[in-house]
Amino acid sequence: MPRIWKAVLLTSLYSVLALLSGAVNAELKSLSDQDLSEVDGKGVGLVFEDFIFSHGHDPSDDKVFRITGLTSTSGEAVVVNVDQLYIARSGSNYGSTLDPVNLGRLDNPYEIGLLDGNGLGLNDEAVLQISGPGKVDASLGYDCLDTAAVQGSGECSSRPASGGWANGERPDLGLELEVNVGSETPRNLSIHAKSAVFDGSYLRLWGDGTEQKMAAEFRLNFYTPELEISTCSQANQSCGSAVKMQGFAMELAMGHTFQPLYLGADAISGGLTIEIAKITHEYINNIDVVTGQSDGTAEGDVAYAFFNDYYSNPEYRSNITMDNIEVSGTSLGSARIEGLLVQYLDVEFRDLEP
Amino acid sequence: MNVMKAIYLFVVLVFQVALANAEMASIDDQDLSEVTGQSGVYLTGEVSINEQGGPLSDTYFGDCSDPAKVCGARISLQTEQDGGWFVLDNIKGSIAFEGLTLQVRNITSGFGGDGALFNRDVIEIGMPESLRFDDFQYTIATSSTGRPSDAGFEQVDMMTVEMSGEVTLEGNLLVFPTP
Repeated sequence: MPRIWKAVLLTSLYSVLALLSGAVNAELKSLSDQDLSEVDGKGVGLVFEDFIFSHGHDPSDDKVFRITGLTSTSGEAVVVNVDQLYIARSGSNYGSTLDPVNLGRLDNPYEIGLLDGNGLGLNDEAVLQISGPGKVDASLGYDCLDTAAVQGSGECSSRPASGGWANGERPDLGLELEVNVGSETPRNLSIHAKSAVFDGSYLRLWGDGTEQKMAAEFRLNFYTPELEISTCSQANQSCGSAVKMQGFAMELAMGHTFQPLYLGADAISGGLTIEIAKITHEYINNIDVVTGQSDGTAEGDVAYAFFNDYYSNPEYRSNITMDNIEVSGTSLGSARIEGLLVQYLDVEFRDLEP
Repeated sequence: MNVMKAIYLFVVLVFQVALANAEMASIDDQDLSEVTGQSGVYLTGEVSINEQGGPLSDTYFGDCSDPAKVCGARISLQTEQDGGWFVLDNIKGSIAFEGLTLQVRNITSGFGGDGALFNRDVIEIGMPESLRFDDFQYTIATSSTGRPSDAGFEQVDMMTVEMSGEVTLEGNLLVFPTP
Protein backbone atom coordinates (compact mmCIF):
# COMPACT_ATOMS: atom_id res chain seq x y z
CA MET A 1 0.00 0.00 0.00
CA PRO A 2 1.41 3.48 -0.83
CA ARG A 3 2.48 5.35 2.32
CA ILE A 4 0.06 8.21 1.67
CA TRP A 5 -2.96 5.86 1.73
CA LYS A 6 -1.73 4.25 4.94
CA ALA A 7 -1.59 7.68 6.53
CA VAL A 8 -5.10 8.52 5.32
CA LEU A 9 -6.45 5.22 6.62
CA LEU A 10 -4.83 5.58 10.05
CA THR A 11 -6.02 9.17 10.38
CA SER A 12 -9.54 8.06 9.46
CA LEU A 13 -9.53 5.27 11.99
CA TYR A 14 -8.30 7.64 14.72
CA SER A 15 -11.09 10.04 13.73
CA VAL A 16 -13.70 7.29 14.08
CA LEU A 17 -12.30 6.23 17.47
CA ALA A 18 -12.26 9.85 18.59
CA LEU A 19 -15.86 10.22 17.43
CA LEU A 20 -16.91 7.10 19.31
CA SER A 21 -15.09 8.12 22.46
CA GLY A 22 -16.71 11.54 22.13
CA ALA A 23 -20.11 9.87 22.04
CA VAL A 24 -19.23 7.78 25.10
CA ASN A 25 -18.07 10.85 27.04
CA ALA A 26 -21.35 12.54 26.28
CA GLU A 27 -23.25 9.65 27.95
CA LEU A 28 -21.23 9.62 31.17
CA LYS A 29 -21.27 12.38 33.72
CA SER A 30 -19.10 12.47 36.80
CA LEU A 31 -20.77 12.66 40.21
CA SER A 32 -19.69 15.59 42.33
CA ASP A 33 -19.19 15.40 46.10
CA GLN A 34 -22.45 17.32 46.39
CA ASP A 35 -24.31 14.65 44.38
CA LEU A 36 -22.71 11.83 46.33
CA SER A 37 -23.55 13.42 49.67
CA GLU A 38 -27.23 13.09 48.82
CA VAL A 39 -26.99 9.28 48.46
CA ASP A 40 -27.57 8.06 51.99
CA GLY A 41 -29.59 4.82 51.84
CA LYS A 42 -28.15 2.41 54.42
CA GLY A 43 -31.09 0.07 54.56
CA VAL A 44 -34.75 -0.35 53.75
CA GLY A 45 -37.32 1.01 56.20
CA LEU A 46 -40.69 -0.70 56.57
CA VAL A 47 -43.77 0.83 58.19
CA PHE A 48 -47.16 -0.87 58.29
CA GLU A 49 -49.90 1.77 58.17
CA ASP A 50 -53.49 1.09 59.31
CA PHE A 51 -52.63 -2.60 59.72
CA ILE A 52 -55.00 -5.40 60.80
CA PHE A 53 -54.40 -9.14 60.55
CA SER A 54 -56.81 -11.81 61.73
CA HIS A 55 -57.48 -15.41 60.77
CA GLY A 56 -59.02 -18.30 62.64
CA HIS A 57 -60.43 -21.80 62.38
CA ASP A 58 -64.20 -21.67 61.78
CA PRO A 59 -65.62 -24.51 59.65
CA SER A 60 -69.08 -22.86 59.59
CA ASP A 61 -67.50 -19.94 57.70
CA ASP A 62 -65.32 -22.15 55.43
CA LYS A 63 -62.22 -21.11 57.34
CA VAL A 64 -59.49 -23.59 58.20
CA PHE A 65 -56.41 -22.71 60.27
CA ARG A 66 -54.83 -25.63 62.08
CA ILE A 67 -51.53 -27.21 63.03
CA THR A 68 -51.13 -30.95 62.49
CA GLY A 69 -48.31 -33.49 62.45
CA LEU A 70 -47.95 -33.50 66.26
CA THR A 71 -48.18 -36.64 68.40
CA SER A 72 -48.95 -36.97 72.12
CA THR A 73 -46.67 -38.98 74.43
CA SER A 74 -49.15 -41.87 74.18
CA GLY A 75 -48.83 -41.82 70.39
CA GLU A 76 -52.17 -40.20 69.60
CA ALA A 77 -52.43 -37.60 66.82
CA VAL A 78 -52.73 -34.02 68.07
CA VAL A 79 -54.63 -31.47 65.98
CA VAL A 80 -54.34 -27.86 67.12
CA ASN A 81 -57.07 -25.59 65.74
CA VAL A 82 -55.97 -21.95 65.69
CA ASP A 83 -59.24 -20.29 66.70
CA GLN A 84 -57.76 -16.84 66.16
CA LEU A 85 -54.42 -15.22 65.45
CA TYR A 86 -54.64 -11.43 65.41
CA ILE A 87 -52.63 -8.20 65.28
CA ALA A 88 -54.73 -5.06 65.82
CA ARG A 89 -54.92 -1.74 67.65
CA SER A 90 -54.60 -1.85 71.41
CA GLY A 91 -57.97 -2.09 73.14
CA SER A 92 -59.04 -4.99 70.90
CA ASN A 93 -60.70 -6.83 73.83
CA TYR A 94 -59.05 -10.21 73.09
CA GLY A 95 -59.22 -9.65 69.33
CA SER A 96 -62.99 -9.11 69.20
CA THR A 97 -62.69 -5.44 68.09
CA LEU A 98 -60.27 -5.11 65.20
CA ASP A 99 -59.17 -1.51 64.60
CA PRO A 100 -56.10 -0.50 62.56
CA VAL A 101 -52.70 0.06 64.14
CA ASN A 102 -49.35 1.30 62.80
CA LEU A 103 -46.26 -0.88 63.15
CA GLY A 104 -43.07 1.17 63.15
CA ARG A 105 -42.67 4.94 62.87
CA LEU A 106 -41.42 6.87 59.83
CA ASP A 107 -38.40 8.03 61.86
CA ASN A 108 -37.96 4.66 63.64
CA PRO A 109 -39.19 1.96 61.25
CA TYR A 110 -38.67 -1.78 61.07
CA GLU A 111 -35.50 -2.06 59.03
CA ILE A 112 -33.51 -4.45 56.84
CA GLY A 113 -29.96 -3.32 56.22
CA LEU A 114 -26.31 -4.22 55.83
CA LEU A 115 -23.81 -3.25 58.52
CA ASP A 116 -20.03 -2.95 58.24
CA GLY A 117 -18.61 -5.72 60.43
CA ASN A 118 -15.44 -3.69 61.13
CA GLY A 119 -17.40 -1.57 63.58
CA LEU A 120 -18.81 -4.66 65.34
CA GLY A 121 -15.61 -6.63 65.90
CA LEU A 122 -16.12 -8.71 62.75
CA ASN A 123 -13.26 -7.68 60.47
CA ASP A 124 -14.06 -7.60 56.74
CA GLU A 125 -17.49 -9.16 57.23
CA ALA A 126 -20.80 -7.81 55.96
CA VAL A 127 -23.59 -8.25 58.51
CA LEU A 128 -27.28 -8.48 57.58
CA GLN A 129 -29.48 -6.84 60.21
CA ILE A 130 -33.25 -7.12 60.58
CA SER A 131 -34.38 -4.79 63.32
CA GLY A 132 -37.46 -3.45 65.05
CA PRO A 133 -38.05 0.22 65.90
CA GLY A 134 -35.10 1.66 67.79
CA LYS A 135 -34.76 2.92 71.33
CA VAL A 136 -34.19 6.65 71.73
CA ASP A 137 -32.97 9.08 74.39
CA ALA A 138 -35.28 9.10 77.42
CA SER A 139 -35.97 12.82 76.88
CA LEU A 140 -37.53 12.01 73.48
CA GLY A 141 -39.04 8.56 74.03
CA TYR A 142 -42.01 6.99 75.76
CA ASP A 143 -42.27 4.60 78.71
CA CYS A 144 -42.22 1.06 77.23
CA LEU A 145 -45.05 -0.30 79.44
CA ASP A 146 -47.38 2.61 80.19
CA THR A 147 -50.41 2.76 77.85
CA ALA A 148 -50.77 6.49 78.66
CA ALA A 149 -47.05 7.32 78.28
CA VAL A 150 -46.15 10.83 77.15
CA GLN A 151 -42.98 12.03 75.42
CA GLY A 152 -39.98 12.20 77.72
CA SER A 153 -41.10 9.29 79.92
CA GLY A 154 -38.89 6.47 78.60
CA GLU A 155 -36.65 5.03 75.88
CA CYS A 156 -39.18 3.38 73.55
CA SER A 157 -39.87 5.17 70.24
CA SER A 158 -43.25 3.43 69.63
CA ARG A 159 -46.15 5.47 71.00
CA PRO A 160 -49.25 4.14 72.73
CA ALA A 161 -52.66 4.82 71.16
CA SER A 162 -54.03 8.14 72.44
CA GLY A 163 -56.75 10.70 71.75
CA GLY A 164 -54.41 12.66 69.47
CA TRP A 165 -52.99 9.61 67.67
CA ALA A 166 -55.64 6.91 67.61
CA ASN A 167 -53.59 4.20 65.83
CA GLY A 168 -50.53 4.29 68.03
CA GLU A 169 -47.62 1.94 67.25
CA ARG A 170 -48.27 -0.65 69.98
CA PRO A 171 -50.47 -3.52 68.77
CA ASP A 172 -52.52 -6.06 70.67
CA LEU A 173 -51.33 -9.58 69.74
CA GLY A 174 -53.17 -12.80 70.39
CA LEU A 175 -53.17 -16.51 69.66
CA GLU A 176 -56.12 -18.71 70.68
CA LEU A 177 -55.62 -22.47 70.33
CA GLU A 178 -57.94 -25.44 70.73
CA VAL A 179 -55.92 -28.60 71.35
CA ASN A 180 -57.52 -31.90 70.28
CA VAL A 181 -55.78 -35.06 71.49
CA GLY A 182 -57.36 -38.22 70.07
CA SER A 183 -60.96 -38.51 71.29
CA GLU A 184 -60.40 -36.43 74.47
CA THR A 185 -62.46 -33.28 75.15
CA PRO A 186 -60.75 -30.34 73.41
CA ARG A 187 -58.68 -28.08 75.66
CA ASN A 188 -58.02 -24.38 75.11
CA LEU A 189 -54.82 -22.42 75.42
CA SER A 190 -54.73 -18.70 74.67
CA ILE A 191 -51.98 -16.09 74.82
CA HIS A 192 -52.83 -12.38 74.63
CA ALA A 193 -50.46 -9.41 74.85
CA LYS A 194 -51.85 -5.91 75.21
CA SER A 195 -50.15 -2.84 73.69
CA ALA A 196 -46.99 -4.78 72.77
CA VAL A 197 -43.64 -3.11 72.08
CA PHE A 198 -40.57 -4.67 70.39
CA ASP A 199 -38.31 -1.61 70.35
CA GLY A 200 -34.58 -2.30 70.37
CA SER A 201 -34.95 -5.88 69.02
CA TYR A 202 -32.69 -7.07 66.22
CA LEU A 203 -31.30 -10.12 64.47
CA ARG A 204 -27.83 -9.93 62.93
CA LEU A 205 -26.60 -12.65 60.58
CA TRP A 206 -23.15 -13.20 59.10
CA GLY A 207 -20.96 -16.00 57.80
CA ASP A 208 -18.44 -17.41 60.28
CA GLY A 209 -15.47 -18.33 58.07
CA THR A 210 -13.67 -20.33 60.79
CA GLU A 211 -16.62 -22.52 61.75
CA GLN A 212 -18.11 -22.52 58.20
CA LYS A 213 -21.52 -21.75 59.72
CA MET A 214 -24.13 -19.02 59.64
CA ALA A 215 -23.67 -17.05 62.85
CA ALA A 216 -26.25 -14.86 64.57
CA GLU A 217 -26.72 -12.28 67.31
CA PHE A 218 -30.31 -12.01 68.54
CA ARG A 219 -31.83 -9.42 70.84
CA LEU A 220 -35.54 -9.73 71.61
CA ASN A 221 -37.07 -6.92 73.61
CA PHE A 222 -40.73 -7.46 74.41
CA TYR A 223 -42.75 -5.16 76.66
CA THR A 224 -46.45 -5.41 77.44
CA PRO A 225 -48.55 -3.95 80.27
CA GLU A 226 -50.36 -7.31 80.46
CA LEU A 227 -49.47 -10.74 79.12
CA GLU A 228 -52.24 -13.25 79.73
CA ILE A 229 -52.07 -17.04 79.34
CA SER A 230 -55.44 -18.67 79.83
CA THR A 231 -57.44 -21.84 79.27
CA CYS A 232 -60.56 -19.88 78.37
CA SER A 233 -62.64 -20.96 75.38
CA GLN A 234 -62.85 -18.64 72.41
CA ALA A 235 -66.42 -17.70 73.26
CA ASN A 236 -65.43 -16.58 76.75
CA GLN A 237 -61.89 -15.18 76.55
CA SER A 238 -62.21 -13.14 79.75
CA CYS A 239 -62.94 -16.21 81.96
CA GLY A 240 -61.19 -16.52 85.31
CA SER A 241 -58.80 -19.41 84.63
CA ALA A 242 -55.90 -17.24 83.56
CA VAL A 243 -52.38 -16.30 84.55
CA LYS A 244 -51.90 -12.55 84.07
CA MET A 245 -48.43 -11.07 84.08
CA GLN A 246 -48.74 -7.32 84.51
CA GLY A 247 -45.90 -4.98 83.59
CA PHE A 248 -44.10 -7.73 81.66
CA ALA A 249 -40.68 -6.82 80.26
CA MET A 250 -38.34 -9.29 78.55
CA GLU A 251 -34.89 -8.37 77.22
CA LEU A 252 -33.41 -11.54 75.77
CA ALA A 253 -29.76 -11.56 74.61
CA MET A 254 -28.73 -14.64 72.62
CA GLY A 255 -25.21 -14.63 71.16
CA HIS A 256 -22.98 -11.75 70.20
CA THR A 257 -20.18 -11.11 67.77
CA PHE A 258 -17.44 -12.89 69.78
CA GLN A 259 -19.72 -15.70 71.04
CA PRO A 260 -22.24 -16.22 68.21
CA LEU A 261 -25.50 -18.13 68.15
CA TYR A 262 -25.43 -20.92 65.57
CA LEU A 263 -28.73 -22.28 64.21
CA GLY A 264 -28.49 -25.43 62.12
CA ALA A 265 -29.59 -29.00 61.58
CA ASP A 266 -27.73 -32.22 62.36
CA ALA A 267 -26.27 -33.87 59.25
CA ILE A 268 -27.06 -37.41 60.54
CA SER A 269 -30.28 -37.27 62.61
CA GLY A 270 -31.76 -34.25 60.81
CA GLY A 271 -32.69 -32.62 64.15
CA LEU A 272 -32.62 -28.86 64.78
CA THR A 273 -29.49 -27.66 66.59
CA ILE A 274 -29.09 -24.44 68.61
CA GLU A 275 -25.61 -23.64 69.86
CA ILE A 276 -23.94 -20.74 71.63
CA ALA A 277 -20.20 -21.25 71.54
CA LYS A 278 -18.30 -21.25 74.85
CA ILE A 279 -16.60 -18.00 75.67
CA THR A 280 -12.88 -17.88 74.99
CA HIS A 281 -10.11 -15.48 73.97
CA GLU A 282 -6.89 -15.92 72.01
CA TYR A 283 -4.83 -14.94 75.11
CA ILE A 284 -6.89 -16.96 77.64
CA ASN A 285 -3.71 -18.81 78.71
CA ASN A 286 -2.30 -15.51 79.95
CA ILE A 287 -4.91 -15.40 82.71
CA ASP A 288 -3.81 -16.96 86.02
CA VAL A 289 -6.16 -19.88 86.71
CA VAL A 290 -5.93 -19.43 90.50
CA THR A 291 -6.25 -15.66 90.96
CA GLY A 292 -8.20 -14.94 87.77
CA GLN A 293 -5.85 -11.99 87.13
CA SER A 294 -3.55 -11.14 84.22
CA ASP A 295 -0.12 -12.83 84.36
CA GLY A 296 1.40 -9.36 83.91
CA THR A 297 2.05 -9.57 80.17
CA ALA A 298 0.43 -7.23 77.66
CA GLU A 299 -1.53 -10.21 76.28
CA GLY A 300 -2.74 -11.06 79.77
CA ASP A 301 -3.95 -7.50 80.29
CA VAL A 302 -5.87 -7.63 76.98
CA ALA A 303 -7.49 -10.93 77.92
CA TYR A 304 -8.34 -9.68 81.45
CA ALA A 305 -9.97 -6.52 80.04
CA PHE A 306 -11.98 -8.67 77.62
CA PHE A 307 -13.32 -11.04 80.30
CA ASN A 308 -13.89 -8.18 82.75
CA ASP A 309 -16.12 -6.49 80.16
CA TYR A 310 -17.84 -9.80 79.34
CA TYR A 311 -18.82 -10.44 82.96
CA SER A 312 -19.76 -6.85 83.84
CA ASN A 313 -21.41 -5.46 80.68
CA PRO A 314 -25.23 -5.58 81.07
CA GLU A 315 -25.57 -5.61 77.24
CA TYR A 316 -24.76 -9.35 77.19
CA ARG A 317 -27.30 -10.28 79.86
CA SER A 318 -30.99 -11.21 79.66
CA ASN A 319 -33.71 -9.87 81.97
CA ILE A 320 -37.34 -10.85 82.54
CA THR A 321 -39.34 -8.78 85.00
CA MET A 322 -43.01 -8.69 86.00
CA ASP A 323 -44.57 -6.09 88.27
CA ASN A 324 -47.34 -8.47 89.34
CA ILE A 325 -48.42 -12.05 88.66
CA GLU A 326 -52.09 -12.85 89.09
CA VAL A 327 -53.33 -16.44 89.01
CA SER A 328 -57.12 -16.80 88.68
CA GLY A 329 -57.61 -13.43 90.38
CA THR A 330 -55.10 -13.98 93.22
CA SER A 331 -52.10 -11.65 93.22
CA LEU A 332 -48.69 -13.27 93.84
CA GLY A 333 -46.63 -10.09 93.71
CA SER A 334 -43.68 -9.28 91.47
CA ALA A 335 -41.05 -11.56 89.94
CA ARG A 336 -37.65 -10.76 88.48
CA ILE A 337 -34.98 -12.73 86.67
CA GLU A 338 -32.10 -10.36 86.04
CA GLY A 339 -28.57 -10.60 84.70
CA LEU A 340 -28.91 -14.02 83.08
CA LEU A 341 -25.72 -14.72 81.09
CA VAL A 342 -25.64 -17.60 78.59
CA GLN A 343 -22.05 -18.89 78.72
CA TYR A 344 -22.62 -22.06 76.70
CA LEU A 345 -25.64 -23.64 75.06
CA ASP A 346 -25.94 -26.79 72.96
CA VAL A 347 -29.45 -28.01 72.13
CA GLU A 348 -30.36 -30.74 69.66
CA PHE A 349 -33.91 -31.77 68.76
CA ARG A 350 -34.59 -35.34 67.82
CA ASP A 351 -37.54 -37.42 66.74
CA LEU A 352 -38.96 -39.53 69.62
CA GLU A 353 -40.46 -42.04 67.20
CA PRO A 354 -38.27 -45.13 66.77
CA MET B 1 -7.58 -3.25 -4.27
CA ASN B 2 -6.67 -3.43 -0.57
CA VAL B 3 -6.82 0.35 -0.37
CA MET B 4 -10.33 0.34 -1.86
CA LYS B 5 -11.40 -2.27 0.73
CA ALA B 6 -10.04 -0.12 3.55
CA ILE B 7 -11.84 2.99 2.28
CA TYR B 8 -15.06 0.98 1.92
CA LEU B 9 -14.70 -0.30 5.48
CA PHE B 10 -14.10 3.23 6.74
CA VAL B 11 -17.22 4.56 4.98
CA VAL B 12 -19.32 1.73 6.43
CA LEU B 13 -17.98 2.41 9.96
CA VAL B 14 -18.68 6.15 9.75
CA PHE B 15 -22.16 5.40 8.40
CA GLN B 16 -22.87 3.01 11.29
CA VAL B 17 -21.69 5.55 13.88
CA ALA B 18 -23.91 8.17 12.22
CA LEU B 19 -26.82 5.70 12.32
CA ALA B 20 -26.23 4.88 15.96
CA ASN B 21 -26.18 8.56 16.82
CA ALA B 22 -29.42 9.04 14.94
CA GLU B 23 -31.14 6.49 17.25
CA MET B 24 -30.30 8.45 20.42
CA ALA B 25 -32.26 11.60 21.18
CA SER B 26 -32.31 13.44 24.47
CA ILE B 27 -35.64 13.98 26.25
CA ASP B 28 -36.09 17.56 27.35
CA ASP B 29 -38.01 18.79 30.40
CA GLN B 30 -41.02 19.63 28.24
CA ASP B 31 -41.27 16.01 26.97
CA LEU B 32 -40.78 14.59 30.46
CA SER B 33 -43.48 16.82 31.95
CA GLU B 34 -46.00 15.16 29.64
CA VAL B 35 -45.33 11.70 31.16
CA THR B 36 -48.16 11.41 33.66
CA GLY B 37 -48.60 7.72 34.56
CA GLN B 38 -48.75 8.11 38.34
CA SER B 39 -51.81 6.19 39.43
CA GLY B 40 -49.87 3.04 40.32
CA VAL B 41 -50.53 -0.63 39.73
CA TYR B 42 -53.56 -2.71 40.77
CA LEU B 43 -52.92 -6.45 40.87
CA THR B 44 -55.30 -9.37 41.09
CA GLY B 45 -54.21 -12.98 40.82
CA GLU B 46 -54.00 -16.50 42.10
CA VAL B 47 -50.88 -18.49 42.86
CA SER B 48 -51.24 -22.28 42.90
CA ILE B 49 -48.49 -24.59 44.06
CA ASN B 50 -48.62 -28.32 43.34
CA GLU B 51 -52.39 -28.53 43.91
CA GLN B 52 -52.53 -31.89 42.16
CA GLY B 53 -48.97 -32.96 42.92
CA GLY B 54 -45.72 -32.04 41.23
CA PRO B 55 -43.92 -33.57 38.28
CA LEU B 56 -41.64 -35.73 40.47
CA SER B 57 -42.68 -39.20 41.52
CA ASP B 58 -40.45 -41.48 43.58
CA THR B 59 -40.42 -43.20 46.96
CA TYR B 60 -40.94 -39.86 48.79
CA PHE B 61 -42.82 -37.61 46.36
CA GLY B 62 -45.90 -38.82 44.56
CA ASP B 63 -49.25 -37.72 43.26
CA CYS B 64 -51.67 -36.36 45.85
CA SER B 65 -53.88 -39.49 45.82
CA ASP B 66 -51.20 -41.52 47.62
CA PRO B 67 -51.44 -40.62 51.35
CA ALA B 68 -48.12 -42.36 52.08
CA LYS B 69 -46.18 -39.78 50.06
CA VAL B 70 -45.88 -36.02 50.07
CA CYS B 71 -46.93 -34.21 46.91
CA GLY B 72 -46.09 -30.56 47.59
CA ALA B 73 -43.08 -28.46 46.74
CA ARG B 74 -39.94 -28.51 48.91
CA ILE B 75 -37.48 -25.75 49.75
CA SER B 76 -34.34 -26.67 51.71
CA LEU B 77 -31.73 -24.32 53.09
CA GLN B 78 -28.34 -25.13 54.61
CA THR B 79 -26.69 -22.83 57.16
CA GLU B 80 -23.54 -24.85 57.83
CA GLN B 81 -20.97 -26.46 55.55
CA ASP B 82 -21.62 -30.24 55.50
CA GLY B 83 -24.44 -29.70 58.01
CA GLY B 84 -28.16 -30.50 57.92
CA TRP B 85 -30.92 -28.56 56.24
CA PHE B 86 -33.86 -26.33 57.23
CA VAL B 87 -36.85 -27.46 55.19
CA LEU B 88 -40.22 -26.07 54.14
CA ASP B 89 -41.81 -29.23 52.81
CA ASN B 90 -45.06 -30.31 51.22
CA ILE B 91 -46.00 -26.76 50.15
CA LYS B 92 -49.24 -26.92 48.20
CA GLY B 93 -52.56 -25.19 47.69
CA SER B 94 -53.40 -21.78 46.33
CA ILE B 95 -53.45 -18.14 47.42
CA ALA B 96 -55.86 -15.81 45.60
CA PHE B 97 -55.75 -12.03 46.06
CA GLU B 98 -57.68 -9.13 44.62
CA GLY B 99 -56.63 -5.51 44.65
CA LEU B 100 -52.98 -5.55 45.70
CA THR B 101 -51.82 -2.00 44.86
CA LEU B 102 -48.38 -0.53 44.24
CA GLN B 103 -47.71 3.19 43.96
CA VAL B 104 -45.39 6.01 44.94
CA ARG B 105 -46.81 8.30 47.62
CA ASN B 106 -45.60 11.64 48.95
CA ILE B 107 -46.02 11.82 52.74
CA THR B 108 -46.23 15.33 54.18
CA SER B 109 -48.74 14.93 57.03
CA GLY B 110 -50.43 12.44 59.37
CA PHE B 111 -48.71 9.61 61.31
CA GLY B 112 -49.28 11.38 64.63
CA GLY B 113 -47.12 14.35 63.55
CA ASP B 114 -44.30 12.25 61.98
CA GLY B 115 -45.53 12.82 58.39
CA ALA B 116 -44.76 16.56 58.26
CA LEU B 117 -41.21 15.96 59.57
CA PHE B 118 -40.67 13.03 57.18
CA ASN B 119 -41.82 14.97 54.05
CA ARG B 120 -40.56 12.41 51.48
CA ASP B 121 -41.72 9.88 48.91
CA VAL B 122 -42.28 6.23 49.80
CA ILE B 123 -43.29 3.12 47.86
CA GLU B 124 -46.75 2.11 49.10
CA ILE B 125 -47.83 -1.52 48.80
CA GLY B 126 -51.56 -1.67 49.53
CA MET B 127 -52.72 -4.93 51.09
CA PRO B 128 -55.29 -6.70 48.91
CA GLU B 129 -59.00 -6.05 49.47
CA SER B 130 -59.48 -9.79 49.50
CA LEU B 131 -56.99 -12.55 50.36
CA ARG B 132 -58.10 -16.15 50.25
CA PHE B 133 -56.25 -19.40 50.93
CA ASP B 134 -57.49 -22.63 49.35
CA ASP B 135 -56.20 -25.82 51.01
CA PHE B 136 -52.86 -24.09 51.51
CA GLN B 137 -50.40 -26.03 53.66
CA TYR B 138 -46.73 -26.42 54.47
CA THR B 139 -44.60 -28.48 56.85
CA ILE B 140 -41.75 -27.00 58.88
CA ALA B 141 -38.93 -29.52 59.30
CA THR B 142 -35.20 -30.10 59.52
CA SER B 143 -33.45 -32.86 57.63
CA SER B 144 -30.06 -34.50 57.27
CA THR B 145 -29.83 -34.09 53.49
CA GLY B 146 -31.14 -31.52 51.04
CA ARG B 147 -33.07 -33.99 48.89
CA PRO B 148 -35.15 -36.94 50.10
CA SER B 149 -33.49 -39.06 47.41
CA ASP B 150 -29.98 -38.53 48.89
CA ALA B 151 -28.29 -41.33 50.86
CA GLY B 152 -28.85 -41.23 54.65
CA PHE B 153 -32.00 -39.06 54.42
CA GLU B 154 -33.59 -38.43 57.84
CA GLN B 155 -36.19 -35.74 58.47
CA VAL B 156 -37.70 -34.37 61.69
CA ASP B 157 -41.09 -32.80 60.92
CA MET B 158 -42.00 -30.14 63.49
CA MET B 159 -45.49 -29.24 62.39
CA THR B 160 -47.80 -28.84 59.43
CA VAL B 161 -49.82 -25.64 59.06
CA GLU B 162 -53.08 -25.75 57.08
CA MET B 163 -55.00 -22.64 56.01
CA SER B 164 -58.21 -22.10 54.03
CA GLY B 165 -60.73 -19.32 53.66
CA GLU B 166 -60.81 -15.54 53.65
CA VAL B 167 -58.13 -13.82 55.75
CA THR B 168 -58.52 -10.36 57.30
CA LEU B 169 -55.48 -8.37 56.15
CA GLU B 170 -55.73 -4.59 55.88
CA GLY B 171 -53.38 -1.66 55.60
CA ASN B 172 -50.42 -0.39 53.61
CA LEU B 173 -46.78 -1.40 53.72
CA LEU B 174 -44.58 1.67 53.23
CA VAL B 175 -41.05 1.04 51.93
CA PHE B 176 -38.31 3.68 51.89
CA PRO B 177 -34.51 4.03 52.18
CA THR B 178 -33.27 4.79 55.68
CA PRO B 179 -30.39 7.13 56.51
